[in-house]
Amino acid sequence: MTAETTEILVFQVGASAFAAVVHDAVRIGSVRDVPAEELVVGSALGMPFERTRGIVVAAGEAQERTLVVDQVLGVRSLPAEDVHPLPPLAAACLSSGAVTGFVVMDGAPTLLIDLRALVREHPAAPHKRAA
Amino acid sequence: MPDSRPTDGAELPAREGSSEAWFFCLRVLGGRYAFEAPLVTEVVRLGPLTRLPAAPSFLPGVFTHRGEVLPVLDIGQLVGHTAVPIRPSTRAALVHCGPWKVAVVSESVEGLVVIPRRALEPPPAESTGVAEFLSAVGRDRHGTVAILDLARLVETARARAVPSGSGHS
Repeated sequence: MTAETTEILVFQVGASAFAAVVHDAVRIGSVRDVPAEELVVGSALGMPFERTRGIVVAAGEAQERTLVVDQVLGVRSLPAEDVHPLPPLAAACLSSGAVTGFVVMDGAPTLLIDLRALVREHPAAPHKRAA
Repeated sequence: MPDSRPTDGAELPAREGSSEAWFFCLRVLGGRYAFEAPLVTEVVRLGPLTRLPAAPSFLPGVFTHRGEVLPVLDIGQLVGHTAVPIRPSTRAALVHCGPWKVAVVSESVEGLVVIPRRALEPPPAESTGVAEFLSAVGRDRHGTVAILDLARLVETARARAVPSGSGHS
């Protein structure tokens, strides 16, 4: 019998680690050549220490946004019972809809982030006009 | 993480018609606060907290207990005072009411208190501060106990966390 598992992408923003369903990420790479208006630098997850790595997320209508992160720590396969919804009080009180639950890794809860919802909360900056 | 069950060894008397009411008492910000005893299922030492982004200050984080992820509620922050210090030795009461299950952080746990029903009075009429979260105020031989209304606490927490019209459900 095979237990149901979920593939989780683990990444770090600032001092905190977060998790996301791996299918939410289109690709991972450098942010060096990404136009500034496509970057999501500061979000509900906080500010990254550096602007070097990014997780590219589909933002609808053939658009992509890149969430700037400090590190991508890897992909883990977790049993379904280690994925938890937000407790009702937390769900009712959080001002960001991008935090959808927790995954328990090594005994500690790590926030599960809906990457698409997270980038939707940060509208793209308008293109800079040439002076 | 050693736990204690607040009702261990204590048979609660039938509430209906009893001349006494049972409460579970915590010390928070130097005061005595209590919930109706049946609502408190357990007392735990807080494990490492996972901080919640975009969370109000009265919700300092979550932790796992017996495989369940539980939110921690700091009443001190909710009523606008200082935070209850959270250390490895900090204990919290797990309070369960309807869909809400929260760990209420405390400075110390006093345990079960029995208050004669005739010694319970309505809370002060003030609409600010902790008074708005009280269902009653009682007295026993150790002094005054403020009886907290968890449903009202949670509703106020929700209202303060999510400004009306923000669109979050």
